[in-house]
Amino acid sequence: MSFLAENLPLIVDGFILTIEVTLFGIFAGLGLGTILAIGDIYGGKIVSTFIRFYVEFFRGSPIIVQLFISVYVIPAMFQTLIDPIIAGFLVFALNSAAYQKGYIKGAMQAVFEDQMQAGLSVGMSKPQTIVYVILPQALRIVIPAWSNEFCSLTKSTAALSILGIRDLTSAFQSIAIRSFRVLEAWIMCAILYLIWITIMTKIFDIVYEKKKIPGIEISV
Amino acid sequence: MAEIVMECKNLWKTYGKIIAVKDVSFQIREGEIKLVFGPSGSGKSTFLRCLAMLTIPDKGDVYLRDQCLTKPSVDLNKARAKIGFVFQHIWLFRHLTALGNVELSLRRVLKMPKDEAREKAMEALRLVKMEDWAKHYPAQMSGGQQQRVGIARALARNPNIILLDEPTSALDPELTGEVIDTLRDLARMGTTMLIVSHEMPFAREVADEMIFYDEGAIVETGPPELFFTNPESERAKKFMARLIKKTKRE
Repeated sequence: MSFLAENLPLIVDGFILTIEVTLFGIFAGLGLGTILAIGDIYGGKIVSTFIRFYVEFFRGSPIIVQLFISVYVIPAMFQTLIDPIIAGFLVFALNSAAYQKGYIKGAMQAVFEDQMQAGLSVGMSKPQTIVYVILPQALRIVIPAWSNEFCSLTKSTAALSILGIRDLTSAFQSIAIRSFRVLEAWIMCAILYLIWITIMTKIFDIVYEKKKIPGIEISV
Repeated sequence: MAEIVMECKNLWKTYGKIIAVKDVSFQIREGEIKLVFGPSGSGKSTFLRCLAMLTIPDKGDVYLRDQCLTKPSVDLNKARAKIGFVFQHIWLFRHLTALGNVELSLRRVLKMPKDEAREKAMEALRLVKMEDWAKHYPAQMSGGQQQRVGIARALARNPNIILLDEPTSALDPELTGEVIDTLRDLARMGTTMLIVSHEMPFAREVADEMIFYDEGAIVETGPPELFFTNPESERAKKFMARLIKKTKRE
């Protein structure tokens, strides 16, 4: 395993970048996805049409194509350069938001009408009811789906390696080529992804259990 | 005569071809208890919801004391804070404890400091005899207990009036008693209430006036005795006869 020790800095850097991009993607995606869900439900026809186009674009094309567009097409259109790493972070956040919007909207509609009525009846405004009543319930319901989204998001970040960004996959690609230890390198790479995903899904499980309230559970 | 707390003039609300509220005018004074009854689907709930401005009426005016709620410039959230509403299907905030349910509007609408809101909420829970359940979530309570918390939630802001939309009809028969007892307590305290209900013995005991509502309109009003002995309108007569027969069977 000495080839691993030799390449440790490369692996660590790649792993850190993968962790960063997945965490950024999932949390920025949650924030944006929540806004999109609220916009879709309350924003009226024009806003929700715009949101539908957004969602269909990000769900309907391969993420690698979205990455190419952000790194090659958009900079060319505007005669500028975009740092591929920044583009990568943004694409994963925007992409994840498109998926998360669907989960959150579904969860909001599941708790929705009667709780909105109850909120208005005590004198709260619509936005107050969304913040203090609808979202606390919807976000609890959405955690298991969120955990799934994290899994697939993490795996799709491997596409970054094609842009020459030093993520975990790209690190092991160069290690495999340089050391000729193809088998060990790729198995190690797979194990590291597995570890990261397992840790995070475990954390989601714990959060779900800790935040669980009698009466607001879903059977997964 | 006591001051008029709530009033509506020539109120209309239609859903397509169905007229739920047809040119209804009504008023209720401080400390009065009025009870609305009538066939299901006659628009009683819609009428109540229009008074609370939870449903916006098509035409006509609603007044809460001197304030006209149907003027476009009115801050409806502020107005609703002065009205207590109890739902047929209870609709507690499912993610909050009994205390949290009562406290939420005190904190977020009336902007009370935390301790004061807690104290006030506990007071309301004591009133409905639910203080021992303050830390429980709705899913951990029986329907009757949930509805008592629902009443505490409506009560806590010291509203001008409480509107109750069939507060016992979604409950198992053996649980209606505890909710009726709570309403009796409120009546004794002089709370102004408009109640949609078919609990006739209770109506006879506390109501100052009964309102027979059918096909989107007030058909007949009068003291409970009138309805129990000799209602004027044919429709009310028939409805009362059915209702009394049903109550006897139970």
